[in-house]
Amino acid sequence: MSVTTAGEPRSRRRRRLSSRGDRATLGLFVGLPTFFHVLLVWLPALATILLSFTFWTGINFSDITWAGVDNYDNIFFSTPAFYDALRNNAIWLGWFFLIATPLGVLLAYQIDREIRGHRFYQSAYYIPVVLSLAVTGIIWNFMLRPDGFVNGLLGRDIDNAVSFFGNYDINIYVIMVMASWRHIGYIMLLYLAGLKAVDPALREAAAIDGATEWETFRKVVLPTMRPVNIIIVVITMIESLRAFDMVYVIYGTSAGLPILGILVFQNIAGEGASMKGAAYAVILFVLSIGPIIAYLRQQFRQDVS
Amino acid sequence: MTATIARRYRGRQRVKDRFISIFICVFALVWIFPIVWTLWSSLRPYKEIRANGVFSAPESIGFGNYSTAIERMDLPTYLWNSLIITAPAVFLTLLFGSVTAFVVSRYSFRWNVSMLLLFTAGNLLPPQLVFIPVFKAYLTVGDWLGNRRLFYDSQWGVVLIHVAFQMGFATFVLSSYMKTIPKEISEAAKVDGASVFRHYWNVMLPLLRPPLASLAVLMTTWIYNDFFWALVLMSNDSKRPITSALGRLQGEFVTDYNLLAAGAMIAALPTLLVFFILRRQFISGLTLGATKG
Amino acid sequence: MGDMDRSVLTSQGFRPNRRQFLIGAAGVLGAGAFMSSCGGSSSLSFGARTVDESPTTQLKGLISAYEAASGNTVVYNATESNAFQNNLSQYLQGTPDDCFQWMAGFRMQFFAEQGLLTDISDVWDEIGDQYNDSYKIASTGLDGKQYFVPQSWYPWGLHFRKSMLADLGIDPDGIYDWDDFLGMLDGMKSKGLVGFAAGDKGGWEAMGTFDILNARINGYQYHVDLMAGREQWTDARTREVFTYWEQLVPYMNDNVLDLEWDGAMQLLLQRKAGAMLMGSWFGGNFLEQSQEDYDDLWIIPFPEINPEHARDTIDAPIDGFCVAANGENTDGGKDLIKFAGSKEGMQAMLDTGVPMTSANKNQDTSSYDSFQKQQLAVMDEAKYITQFLDRDTRPDFAGPVVGPAFQQWFRDPSSIDGILESLQEQWDALPPL
Repeated sequence: MSVTTAGEPRSRRRRRLSSRGDRATLGLFVGLPTFFHVLLVWLPALATILLSFTFWTGINFSDITWAGVDNYDNIFFSTPAFYDALRNNAIWLGWFFLIATPLGVLLAYQIDREIRGHRFYQSAYYIPVVLSLAVTGIIWNFMLRPDGFVNGLLGRDIDNAVSFFGNYDINIYVIMVMASWRHIGYIMLLYLAGLKAVDPALREAAAIDGATEWETFRKVVLPTMRPVNIIIVVITMIESLRAFDMVYVIYGTSAGLPILGILVFQNIAGEGASMKGAAYAVILFVLSIGPIIAYLRQQFRQDVS
Repeated sequence: MTATIARRYRGRQRVKDRFISIFICVFALVWIFPIVWTLWSSLRPYKEIRANGVFSAPESIGFGNYSTAIERMDLPTYLWNSLIITAPAVFLTLLFGSVTAFVVSRYSFRWNVSMLLLFTAGNLLPPQLVFIPVFKAYLTVGDWLGNRRLFYDSQWGVVLIHVAFQMGFATFVLSSYMKTIPKEISEAAKVDGASVFRHYWNVMLPLLRPPLASLAVLMTTWIYNDFFWALVLMSNDSKRPITSALGRLQGEFVTDYNLLAAGAMIAALPTLLVFFILRRQFISGLTLGATKG
Repeated sequence: MGDMDRSVLTSQGFRPNRRQFLIGAAGVLGAGAFMSSCGGSSSLSFGARTVDESPTTQLKGLISAYEAASGNTVVYNATESNAFQNNLSQYLQGTPDDCFQWMAGFRMQFFAEQGLLTDISDVWDEIGDQYNDSYKIASTGLDGKQYFVPQSWYPWGLHFRKSMLADLGIDPDGIYDWDDFLGMLDGMKSKGLVGFAAGDKGGWEAMGTFDILNARINGYQYHVDLMAGREQWTDARTREVFTYWEQLVPYMNDNVLDLEWDGAMQLLLQRKAGAMLMGSWFGGNFLEQSQEDYDDLWIIPFPEINPEHARDTIDAPIDGFCVAANGENTDGGKDLIKFAGSKEGMQAMLDTGVPMTSANKNQDTSSYDSFQKQQLAVMDEAKYITQFLDRDTRPDFAGPVVGPAFQQWFRDPSSIDGILESLQEQWDALPPL
């Protein structure tokens, strides 16, 4: 129950939480949001997990038949596209982890040091984040189509253009560049927000001790930013697993670049719908659980303290 | 550390800094180039590009593509759809987020922490995981209540799912922020006999302006930019917000890409405006829990 | 018009093929009732599966003519073609338009089976005499009732510009068999042009090439059986399709996987390519460009490869309309579909000036321009018609499995054996329907 300040003898005059109006308010405050959240997020998630063990076209409830692990069997043993997708998601994760996120962090650090023009840079790097992925897809399409900017620069015509999206050896990296264009700015801003809360006295002390900026960053700032670091890591992992919009805008549901998000959509929407799509979604979920739990543990630790 | 050594360090640092500055500057220009290019394309009529090529010198520059885009692409309808989805969704998200964060951080119940965990985890779930059951639920509930279109193919269905998903993040940010508000204020309110509602409305809410402002900016951007939900929860293209409609426009105008560029620029405009106007609130309101000192 | 005597057998996956005939006149009563019962005007909605300019003009012409004739108002809803197809299941379950544009074949039969389409056998009773039997068969669901009204068809054939062939000194009618064809491609290549324009970014375009090669090399029956799973992908006969296909690769553009069908069409339009295997629907796009371009366009059947089968098969998908079961005004939808399938509807579409090859017998083919007459001639030569791979086989196999497999083949033609094995494995692993 409500904790009061120590030993106030006039406690009787204070409104206690047992007042009906207060309890109703609290109930509503907590109940309504939770109701919607559970109803629209958790229950459907549970339903999808259950459905992944059935055969169903998604149309008539009467057609649901139990499938056991058949859908998963199908995915793991009879669908080579699944491993291609895993590979692509892994590349996505690797790229984000080793290239995009570190660049975002370093960028945030430099901008926080208020080098000249830092306000401009802040905006310039962040603008891609503010754009819808559909707009991003269109913009990059202009740049990279057979009759777009880059091919025009290389002096190539529509019939001998460099095939950025069609050449499956390089298209993952092309998509990576597009995704990084957005991701770097996003990470930069998150980190910047965190950096603003770091005590400048710390950094001054390090500078007086003669540390270079790099040493200051590594040994002073980075450790203090631990909570934010964890957030950044989690977001990086989640974004690379959940990726869908950008690839859909470029390729639709054709298999130009198989990733888990596209496989889910391909199998759960459209005419060939089956619960194989639900199984894919569950696999996606299971892969995301790791980072989610890490994130929650870090929050839990914070809240307890 | 002698003064000379410290000075030498600083000198070397300055050189490094110069390099870094130039590097960042060049890249910033590279960064915004694709947008600039699209903007540039949108100002030139397609006939010119077709005749003279992509790099030809401009004969006519103007907003012709924009007026055509607004007419032919029915953009006002789509922008309006975006508005009637984004505004209620942002408002409800902030409302729900703030009341939940309020209870969780100001009143200690046993389940406070688990609530928080539930919400934050929910925020991170992939949307593809829930869409078929949500679709079926919308139709079923709509049928019960006599109107199929109550949730499916309606702005409210999309608003509700956005609220359900984004609530977690709002709760998290607001509760983090509330931790930095001294408990004494709340204690004083309780001592004064304020009801829970007054505590929330008159005492806490005014103090939450910074994070609410930055959350509003973030949420507006996210919800406005959403592509997936309106695509799958609406069957009528003319009800879709502009971001989902862009897919259709891309199909329709695939050959006239200067016109498409104008359409894309118009679609991007609202979020760009919001960002530029409210830039400051953006960063200052985001407390992510980094420890001070 | 024209005795188009050919059998249209729709492969039905796990169900046996059988000719469907009118079942009982009993259900036919009251066909005219709804026509006369509308005292006042009602409102209904129409869903178009395209946002492209020419087809939209045509459809809007149809709709305005209907509104004028019936006094009803129609709300016109257009969705981009890929988005429409991806969303169809949700669309039909939820809040579909009363009447919408769709395709014949298993794709239609599947949704009829699920109860999402309205039985329109009564409409067929009224307008059925305007169509050949083969169209009626194509419009029939697995339960013997009709669910579809055809609008137009187009053949898949070799398209090219007459002027480009003339430059090479080749007579189009002279391209009859495979060697003639390669000869033409060589000629194009020697001029530095792409011989055979191909685009497969959408994942479905290449299916046309597969269909026709399979039908030419192994015959119509083998193709139908393969689609239904009665023959194997790993069979040597299927393998041979790819041997021939590989012969075409040196004459294709480099960026097959970067172009969709309209990209390949652009190559033809810009005179950068010699020939393209495609459905003839894009005639309208050429016409949009200019009358000369349209007049320059020509089509011939894909060359003969195996004299045993000659050129007896053709892919000629039929597009048309359906009435959704969950629409708000199903009667209105039936009314519209009846109009669309009748002489008046067809005429309204033709009056818009956009070229169309109608399924309706009443279309006056003497008013066809030479390109349309040629399409008709190409169709007439064929004895058997298929609907295209992604309409003839299971949708959960065609899109997610076969499409990527062909794209994979384009990347590395030598990996064909592995690809075929994988295709067969995935077919075997499909869950029961």
